[in-house]
Amino acid sequence: MQDDLSRKQDDELIARTQAGEATAFDELVVKYSPRLYGLVYNMTSNHEDTNDLMQDIWSKAYRSIAGFRGKSSFYTWIHSIGVNMTINFLKKRGRRYTLSLDDIDSNVQHDKEFIELTASSTPVREADLSELQKRLNEAMQKLSHDHRAVVTMFDIQGMPHAEIAKILGISEGTVRSRLFYAHRQLQNFLTEFHS
Amino acid sequence: MTEEQLSALLRIKRFEQPPPQYFDQLLQNIHRRQRSELLHRPLWKIAAERLQTFFSEHSMSHLSYAGALASVVVVGVVGIGILTSGGSLDSRGARGLPAVADAHPPRDITPADNAFSQKKLLAIETASPSTGFVSSALPASVSLPNAQVLTAPMSPTVQQPRYVIDARPASYEPAAAYSF
Repeated sequence: MQDDLSRKQDDELIARTQAGEATAFDELVVKYSPRLYGLVYNMTSNHEDTNDLMQDIWSKAYRSIAGFRGKSSFYTWIHSIGVNMTINFLKKRGRRYTLSLDDIDSNVQHDKEFIELTASSTPVREADLSELQKRLNEAMQKLSHDHRAVVTMFDIQGMPHAEIAKILGISEGTVRSRLFYAHRQLQNFLTEFHS
Repeated sequence: MTEEQLSALLRIKRFEQPPPQYFDQLLQNIHRRQRSELLHRPLWKIAAERLQTFFSEHSMSHLSYAGALASVVVVGVVGIGILTSGGSLDSRGARGLPAVADAHPPRDITPADNAFSQKKLLAIETASPSTGFVSSALPASVSLPNAQVLTAPMSPTVQQPRYVIDARPASYEPAAAYSF
């Protein structure tokens, strides 16, 4: 997931942060925020909640970075904080959620995979893009927090099973099992929509 | 919907990102929040940090820390021992108040106290102040320096002096209070 050079850079930035250099921490924020945002947003489906959580996550990371010993990569560490805090937030929030998907980045329409997907002769082709996105998000929200986290990290963010297992503190077998179950659920929800 | 279609649909969600300026704003918000947290830190955290800084500035060995801790424990044990022994003396004093009261009568007795004493305290009347009282009521070694001689209204023929012990009884002493 992370090459050696990137990890070395991270280690240096962490060491500088631990020595009291605040700008080094800013570099870590800039580097990892986009991916972290994707993780949190796809679990909450709400931009405002994601924004609040991002601040909480980075504040907690800053407070805890003195105790970071480098047993895992910073990438794994910050994602662990992010997933745990988001799951706690979702548990507190309960079933209330608001989809704020009107402002989906229009870049999606230029994505090669998306163009291929909509151009092929599948039922998806007939569906409107925004409607399809909306349905997919609704289907995601019907998953449990744990299953949603696994789907977000594997299918959306492209993390390998081993990395997800490290972040969640579970075995790779559990990750695969959760993924299988979550995919089945999502397929059922979306099939209902198309039928 | 097949597994591949679902995976492809999920993959395009990675493009759902906020506008680029969002991350600059996020950094500013984080800075603002950090400053705010610094201003609203609890007192115990500040104290703990100062203590930590103090010890980090004085680079002592681990043995020194152990020695310092042992000294504190010894001082504490000795202090508690002194306090405990002092407390037990006080409690004995509380039980033995009559003796203390007899040995050290109060110096300043107000008229009100005297009047109260006359009503409540031991009043000993003897026919002869020099012999009768001492021989009958108290041992020979006990003297009553503050005893007053009251002359009660008597018949014109027999004048009997009346002795009142001018000391406060044990029950009027303030109870010993222990505060830790």
